[in-house]
Amino acid sequence: MIELEGPLGKSDAVNRELVSLERELSTLRKNGTIDPFGLYLYGLVLKEKGSENLARTVIVESVNSYPWNWNAWSELQSLCTTIDILNSLNLNNHWMKDFFLASAYQELRMHTESLVKYEYLQGTFSFSNYIQAQIAKAKYSLREFEQVEVIFEELLRNDPYRVEDMDMYSNVLYAKECFSALSYLAHRVFMTDKYRPESCCIIGNYYSLKGQHEKSVMYFRRALKLNKNYLSAWTLMGHEYVEMKNTPAAVDAYRRAVDINPCDYRAWYGLGQAYEMMGMPFYALHYFRKSVFLQPNDSRLWIAMAQCYETEQLHMIEEAIKCYRRAANCNDREAIALHQLAKLHSQLGRAEEAAFYYKKDLERMEAEEREGPNMVEALLFLATHCKAQKRFEEAEVYCTRLLDYTGPEKETAKSLLRGMRIAQSGFPSMDVEHFPP
Amino acid sequence: MAGIFKPPGAFAITPHKVSVCILLQIYAPPPQLSVTFPFSSVSHHNRLGLFLLALTKSFDDILEPKLDDLIAQLREIGGSQNHWLSDHLTCRLSSLSSPDDLFNFFSDLRGILGGPDSAIVEDDQIILDPSSILGTFLRRCILAFNLLSFEGVCHLLNNVGIYCKDALSSCPPYELPHVGNSSNDSEGLLEYENMDLENLVFEKVTEEIEARKRASERVSFHIHAPKALYGLVEDIEVSAAPKFKHSDKARETSTFVHPANNSMRGVDPNGGIFLRTNWQIQGYLLEQADAIEKHDSSIPLNAFESILKQLQKLAPELHRVHFLRYLNNLYHDDYPAALENLLCYFDYSAGTEGFEFVPPSSGCNSFGRYEIALLCLGMMHFHFGHPKQALEVLTEAVRVSQQHSNDTCLAYTLAAICNLLSEIGISSTSGILGSSYSPVTSIGTSLSIQQQLFVLLRRSLKRAETLKLKRLVASNHLAMAKFDLTHVQRPLLSFGPKASMMLRTCPANVCKEMRLSSHLISEFSTESSIMITDGAFSTAWLKNLRKPMGSLVLSQENGSGNNSDAFQFCAQPSSIPGSVLQLVGSSYLLRATAWELYGSAPLARINALVYATCFGDASSSADVALAYAKLIQHLAVFNGYKEAFAALKIAEEKFLSISKSRILLIKLQLLHERALHRGHLKLAQQVCDELGVLASSVTGVDMELKTEASLRHARTLLAANQFSQAAAVAHSLFCMCYKFNLQVENATVLLLLAEIHKKSGNAVLGLPYALASLSFCQSFNLDLLRASATLTLAELWLSLGSNHAKRALTLIHGALPMILGHGGLELRARAYIAEAKCYLSDPSFSVSENFEVVLDPLRQASDELQVLEYHELAAEAFYLMAIVFDKLGQLEEREEAACSFKVHVMALENPQDEDDPLFNML
Repeated sequence: MIELEGPLGKSDAVNRELVSLERELSTLRKNGTIDPFGLYLYGLVLKEKGSENLARTVIVESVNSYPWNWNAWSELQSLCTTIDILNSLNLNNHWMKDFFLASAYQELRMHTESLVKYEYLQGTFSFSNYIQAQIAKAKYSLREFEQVEVIFEELLRNDPYRVEDMDMYSNVLYAKECFSALSYLAHRVFMTDKYRPESCCIIGNYYSLKGQHEKSVMYFRRALKLNKNYLSAWTLMGHEYVEMKNTPAAVDAYRRAVDINPCDYRAWYGLGQAYEMMGMPFYALHYFRKSVFLQPNDSRLWIAMAQCYETEQLHMIEEAIKCYRRAANCNDREAIALHQLAKLHSQLGRAEEAAFYYKKDLERMEAEEREGPNMVEALLFLATHCKAQKRFEEAEVYCTRLLDYTGPEKETAKSLLRGMRIAQSGFPSMDVEHFPP
Repeated sequence: MAGIFKPPGAFAITPHKVSVCILLQIYAPPPQLSVTFPFSSVSHHNRLGLFLLALTKSFDDILEPKLDDLIAQLREIGGSQNHWLSDHLTCRLSSLSSPDDLFNFFSDLRGILGGPDSAIVEDDQIILDPSSILGTFLRRCILAFNLLSFEGVCHLLNNVGIYCKDALSSCPPYELPHVGNSSNDSEGLLEYENMDLENLVFEKVTEEIEARKRASERVSFHIHAPKALYGLVEDIEVSAAPKFKHSDKARETSTFVHPANNSMRGVDPNGGIFLRTNWQIQGYLLEQADAIEKHDSSIPLNAFESILKQLQKLAPELHRVHFLRYLNNLYHDDYPAALENLLCYFDYSAGTEGFEFVPPSSGCNSFGRYEIALLCLGMMHFHFGHPKQALEVLTEAVRVSQQHSNDTCLAYTLAAICNLLSEIGISSTSGILGSSYSPVTSIGTSLSIQQQLFVLLRRSLKRAETLKLKRLVASNHLAMAKFDLTHVQRPLLSFGPKASMMLRTCPANVCKEMRLSSHLISEFSTESSIMITDGAFSTAWLKNLRKPMGSLVLSQENGSGNNSDAFQFCAQPSSIPGSVLQLVGSSYLLRATAWELYGSAPLARINALVYATCFGDASSSADVALAYAKLIQHLAVFNGYKEAFAALKIAEEKFLSISKSRILLIKLQLLHERALHRGHLKLAQQVCDELGVLASSVTGVDMELKTEASLRHARTLLAANQFSQAAAVAHSLFCMCYKFNLQVENATVLLLLAEIHKKSGNAVLGLPYALASLSFCQSFNLDLLRASATLTLAELWLSLGSNHAKRALTLIHGALPMILGHGGLELRARAYIAEAKCYLSDPSFSVSENFEVVLDPLRQASDELQVLEYHELAAEAFYLMAIVFDKLGQLEEREEAACSFKVHVMALENPQDEDDPLFNML
């Protein structure tokens, strides 16, 4: 075996003994003199050689006869790349199977199913930290950060020296911008074991939150030196490079993440972003498409793609509208999509659609009690639109609401109101005006 | 000097090199060793010298020839002593039985090198100059040997053993490891030995590559080339130095690979385990890229893919492997995989590896050069027939290269856009080249797409000229010639004082552009400094040796006699890069096409022949197939189908099953033509449908194929006497051609419409079409087509009644010189028959006085038509002959003609003949 190593890069051991190993193990299997661990080994060899179907069968045999070998299960999981393959496996019922399925579902991005499985398992193994952490992971993927935080707090109470999965906790804290909690966590893992990739990653996150991107990159690099297949470190490092405006390095980092796991939608998204930053929106679209394909329920990805279509270079408004519509349908937290939809429709002169989306946006802003320029814009558009449609009462309502704001819109609202009053009260007077005295 | 050029560590001594050394010893025997002088003549000796030169030049090749190959080559140059050389070689090799033998051998080798103190030279002794190419090679071999540790020497000895055994027992190479079990073990040990050695030379290699980088030496590297643009624009120079982005240089060079795994063993049958340098791998990749381009899909997809995967696994930092995978997938029409690999390549390399990478003089290079990625992506979309996407991407490429002020890339991108615009049919300018592309919109959007293309072409040419991109200039000239060939130039401004307008194409311009493009070759041959040295180029030395001389185009006998004279000629390697040859070649191909259009059959044929003979090796198989197709077509038109099909058979063997290729196309065309002539309409329709299926379904793509298919469809309908349907098809074809501005095709379609009306008996309706076709032919200088249109016009007049016979006759006589000079069998026969008919229907003409005037052309026509097996016209000719004979009272001849008439009519009515070997060619 020869170990080849690149700079922080993909490296692989080349094993030239695989053929003889396979020969030996397959004869053993044919003779029936092989035990479950031997089967597991055989499966590993087969997987390395690229004959995946046989590998799967062999490992299934192994876990069916000895279910407590978690390594075999995880190899099996890595061989199940689609849900169809997973469903076609012929597995004996055992509680280990539930663990396997839960984890496999997670890998296949079926987070709700996975969550259900883990919660069911938690009924049996109520004190398992592992299950708790996995539940947190599933919830993290479902973007329920509040609950994840609660779970992690409890987990740390139970197991104060835990380092595994803590990088996810740090991501949550990062997203919520909890400076002190993140620094506390970083300090804690640093004291426990500073040479764990997770620890480095947490510290990197901390520096990133503080805006010290060079240091952050340094820690991510360290994490990668410890484990070069550490997916999230590659992605996060890519983010840092984007922040540092070093796009080629960012592209490189993201691409490595994608090569490690082609289902990492964040890295695809990052690639798209990087190319968009370089003024190559059409090129970026391919990457965005990849990421929305992998995570179709994430509004941010759809919005990013829509913005790409919207750029002045491409100006593909119809496609942008389609993307925004998807974004609006999947729980768009920042409420960008509705506003953009309304705006684009009004740009295209489709007043009805624009009014529909402005109204929806308005309702939403009211429900969330947000104010701002978007509110004014929506009110103004609706007022003029209703007036044009001769729905004067509605228009009046919008106009009076506009009067609460300062600025030029207030004056416009006033003049609109005045115009409407005249129109309503005296059609004859208008007629008179038309004739010269 | 050479020692600095390539450190000895990168130069591993292999069994092949040992045999070259042995040959060197024969070439220049050391004084103390009294080898009998085996050469029959000085030229014989020189031949060996040339051969050795070629061998030493190609030492950087990734694949070293096996002993078998070497022996075969030796026999070729050996002449009368052909066995002496190879016997001596194998004898010496097998006598190396202990490490000490090797030591002695290499110390003997020193003797043939002339030192500075070589004052005492015997008369007949040949001394190698230590600084000559051979001398340098020898010195490096000796040095490399001296650097080997004892284990290394053992390893070499083992490999020499395997090398000999391989040749002598000629057993399959993969069984070798089982033969020598002991050698297997020591191999394992020795690898580590070599690894250590590699570490030693790391520093030096790094230095070397650094030096190379500083010199920014360039290597020709083929970026993928769609067949169009004559496949040449993308042929771009590349820096050989790998990227040095990361600070850690020692790691960068870790791309030393160890190709001793199963799949590589397939490539490297020597079975020896040698370290390859980065340099060699790069050379190998370049060579493969070339091969993929030349032979499109004939390289097996999966086999090469697995090699590449293996390489990628072994050398993860060698990103060009991704590019090769992209090329491989591209030419096997695997869109998703090609796209994936292309993106992957550029994500990793940021466009700074390969592709004319000149460090920008002004400031920061930290942005990468992703515009090149866009250019490649655009060309990929073009290749796959996605014109919209291609245009979108290329527009973005223009923008980004303007942003990063990468003028070179901009020039190439503009050329690619021109190519795209000229290849695909675009009916309207709206929505294409949207508002974003400033160079076009600045002129104003009122221009037609053709005018935009013209402006773009001119700008692209100017840009390429100012940037001194010679190949691009040449290919731009070609594109310009192509444009001039089929487009009438109109003034760009539609207002203001009208300049004198000539509504004709200008053949002189076409000629000028083509001549300008051919200047390229003289520029390259005068500049010897452009000599590129890399792994790929060095293999060209050996390839030149193997090239058979006087490649016989379309002739069955493949003479492989004594070609020792030819060998000498070939041993002079040309210093002209393949890409230049390719470009010059395509100018000949264009010339052939131009003459075809202008209607000079001999010139078209000559140019196609020149292309097929002189540039066949350098160009892509698609282009060569095109040349062959032209030749076959020529044969069919002038010599009948029998010869054409025989030639087609040869061509088919040469271009094995390339789907959608020119050869398939020409085959279908021939079959269709023949079926029409023999009155086999069902078959004709079937062939016609198959032709239509070949074209892509996307609008604007494969326009040529689509026009061809529907033209043939209309002709089939015409032959079946379904006039209204035929007219409808022809009409819609005309509309399409008009929409996409295919004016040359329009002339043909109009002529077809005239024919349809003529055959349906509506001569009056046919006249305007014939006249329109004539005027089209005039303005595009389509002389042969014009003659044919004149003939149709005459036939139309004739069918209006006998009082127009005089007028028809003058028309025919006007067209006859052109028809007889350049027309094919069918056209000539038609002209003869029409002439005879004119005479016959002329009331003032008496047959009995002047019968030879009528009979002679009829005889000619019937002969030619019989060659063509054109039953319908042949029957007509014989019918006319019978009438004439009847009038003359020559009853015997009359019966004979009538008999022939009957035969042809019968054949026309019962076209099914099972014994037709061509029937089941489909």
